Amino acid sequence: MGQFELTLETLLIVALSGIGGWYLLLPRGRGVMTGPVWKVLGAAMATIGVALMAWAFGARLANTTNDLTFYALATVTIASAIAMISARNPVISALWFALVLLANSGLFLLQGAEFLSAATVIIYAGAIIVTFLFVIMLAQPRGSARYDNYSREPFLSCTAGVILCWTLLGTLHYSATVEAAPLETRELGQSDALPRPEIVAHYLATQPESRIDLTKPHVDSLGRTLFLEHYVSVEIIAMLLLVAVVGAVLIANRKRESTSS
Amino acid sequence: MGDTSLLNNYLGVGAILFTLGLVGFLTRRNLIVMFLCAEMMLQGVALTLVGFSTYHGSWGGQVFTVFSLALAGAEAAVALALIVVLFRRNESLDVSLWQDLREADQPPVTDDFEPEVLEPEVLGPVLTKSGLLPGQKGMVTPHRSIHEAIEEQRHEPVEVSHD
Repeated sequence: MGQFELTLETLLIVALSGIGGWYLLLPRGRGVMTGPVWKVLGAAMATIGVALMAWAFGARLANTTNDLTFYALATVTIASAIAMISARNPVISALWFALVLLANSGLFLLQGAEFLSAATVIIYAGAIIVTFLFVIMLAQPRGSARYDNYSREPFLSCTAGVILCWTLLGTLHYSATVEAAPLETRELGQSDALPRPEIVAHYLATQPESRIDLTKPHVDSLGRTLFLEHYVSVEIIAMLLLVAVVGAVLIANRKRESTSS
Repeated sequence: MGDTSLLNNYLGVGAILFTLGLVGFLTRRNLIVMFLCAEMMLQGVALTLVGFSTYHGSWGGQVFTVFSLALAGAEAAVALALIVVLFRRNESLDVSLWQDLREADQPPVTDDFEPEVLEPEVLGPVLTKSGLLPGQKGMVTPHRSIHEAIEEQRHEPVEVSHD
């Protein structure tokens, strides 16, 4: 696959399709351009925008099963994320987020983070999303709420989002091309922007405990790292969870009279 | 050291996820959906951390992600308790209702809702008219069972056509 040409016209196409697609998909009441036809058009434009942006910043063509799985999971993740922010009903939104989490845990698994993949499904999709759904059921006004049907400043937000996305991906592309170039050909100042690979390798080599060793069992090594090197952090995060639970119970159990006064 | 282009792909997905969460957080008015979008931004960062962890062959990123999972749990517990309390006060999840908390010199936000269009209420399904009105001539007498109808049919004289 040839590299996408980063000219002004293509940049304009990508930006317009991204902004337009996200703008058309966001809920905007009964105003102009809000029919199902416009939603389909918005979905198509958002797809084109994201795909062109990924192509412009050097996503590789799939050639192995691993790559194909990655592209499938990434597509599901991004499409569900777009559907999540454009769904009018918060319940539908939460369910789309659950799909984002499932695809994301698939991406974790693809990177060899087995424990995190399982933990994401159990904690996020199993506990947090269910709690969200409970609260949506508890705190849902009668019928569909009006504020769910309108977005706040959709055009400005989409523009800001596309610019941020473009900047992040452009930085990634820039750092990848600079790092790939040999040290002698780098311009002055460029090499200072990134830690040199040999420095990173030396830093990591001096920490033998935290190296990933694929011959050992995954959870065993992760637990060893967690409880030997980050023991204090584990204690602190446990304390934080305890305080959060006590606080949540205290806040939610307040009597109605005391809250209205 | 892993494959740079593979790492870049994961970082790209993380960046797009983060941006979409940001757009959702800025545009939506529902408190619950705003918190969901914040959680999605956390997921984008988690993907980035795991990508770096795999690329450098170090456990640091995965340990960090474990902590961010616990942090997300704590945040969700407190935030949802707050949402329940706020809903009890106003019977609404609209974030604009809490704009009293803004800075003193900021102008208030006015909602650009269109006037509500009430749809006519439909009471049950509407059936198409068929058959005759009750009491008209030719109406089938009620309370006649199917067996009686069959008996009637049987006793009726059958017309035989002669050639």
